Amino acid sequence: MDIWFQRRALACGLLLLAAGSATAATQGSAGSTSTGSISIGASVPNRVQLSGLTDVAFTNQDPTVAATKAQNVCVWSNSSTRGYNVTASGSGASSAFTLANATLTVPYTVEWAGTSGAPSGTGLSAGAALTGLTSTATNPSCSPGPASSASLIVKIAAADLQSMQAATNYTGTLTLVVAPE
Amino acid sequence: MMSAGTGTVAAVIVKTGSVDGSFRNACSPSHAVASVRCVAPIAMLALCAMLACASPSPAASNKVRVTKLSDVAFGTIANLNADAVLSQSVCMFADTATNGYNISATGSGAGGVFELSSGQTALAFDVAWNSATGQQSGTQLSPNVPLTGQISAATHQTCNTGPATSASLIVRLRSPALASATAGTYNGTLTLVVGPE
Repeated sequence: MDIWFQRRALACGLLLLAAGSATAATQGSAGSTSTGSISIGASVPNRVQLSGLTDVAFTNQDPTVAATKAQNVCVWSNSSTRGYNVTASGSGASSAFTLANATLTVPYTVEWAGTSGAPSGTGLSAGAALTGLTSTATNPSCSPGPASSASLIVKIAAADLQSMQAATNYTGTLTLVVAPE
Repeated sequence: MMSAGTGTVAAVIVKTGSVDGSFRNACSPSHAVASVRCVAPIAMLALCAMLACASPSPAASNKVRVTKLSDVAFGTIANLNADAVLSQSVCMFADTATNGYNISATGSGAGGVFELSSGQTALAFDVAWNSATGQQSGTQLSPNVPLTGQISAATHQTCNTGPATSASLIVRLRSPALASATAGTYNGTLTLVVGPE
């Protein structure tokens, strides 16, 4: 065998070893038609998205009647089960669910339902995840597909309303974190 | 351009009379010298010599070849709200009179659709072709439907000489498909068939 051919064959062999199984692409050969093929791969990571949230405003509440505000939100999860969990944190001390005006505070409660349009749900504890939820959303922003997929309910008990100072604005922030399951 | 594996030679048969009254092919390669020497007038000799000795002109073989294809690996797609696009420059060679070719693509989805799969879950993708190299966009292909009227700039079967590549293959995962896809690893194949024009 020609020494030049041997060297080239050796070089090709080394290249193949270096490449390992790097490619499955097949190259076309010359002819009246030529066919080649490639493999395509992609990985979609676990993702969730919470949207459709609106601010909650309790105004001129009758202190003898518990106040409730429910809203439909969009939670989307792309896990194989569409599962997710939700964790809520308030702006009070240690993330407590409280509204405040200077030193004045009033507690509120937070509930979550894994369905849209629910007037009540499972009570959340600040910083503790509510697990085992499943979303019906098929798109991160619920469009297209169901316009909403869960319910957020905020409540102030009548007793707490009665403890509030009249004509005083109490404000706070509620933060929700969803994660895939 | 690849040198043609086959060529055509202009064949004109000139028959001259022999001493016995029969005719024979005076310009066939095996008889040309003898015929020229023996029988033809000068004009005939000149014509015969031109035809017999002319070198064959190269002609297109109507062969095509697609090479330099690479697998497409998107990896983990962090942003599902934007299209994921990967393009590659390939060698598309067409030995036709116009260097023209057509291309068809088939995916591994049912009926040849462009789909990746993860178990029972599918993820659609788009395929585009551009007859220029280094492009990020092109004409979108439909499964099993030839894209015609393409011209190759390649001058060698595998682009070893001349342009290193001559076309672009673009694979796109659109954000709506990504956003609605179940998390997982998706795989599929894309087959390209080119034909001469």
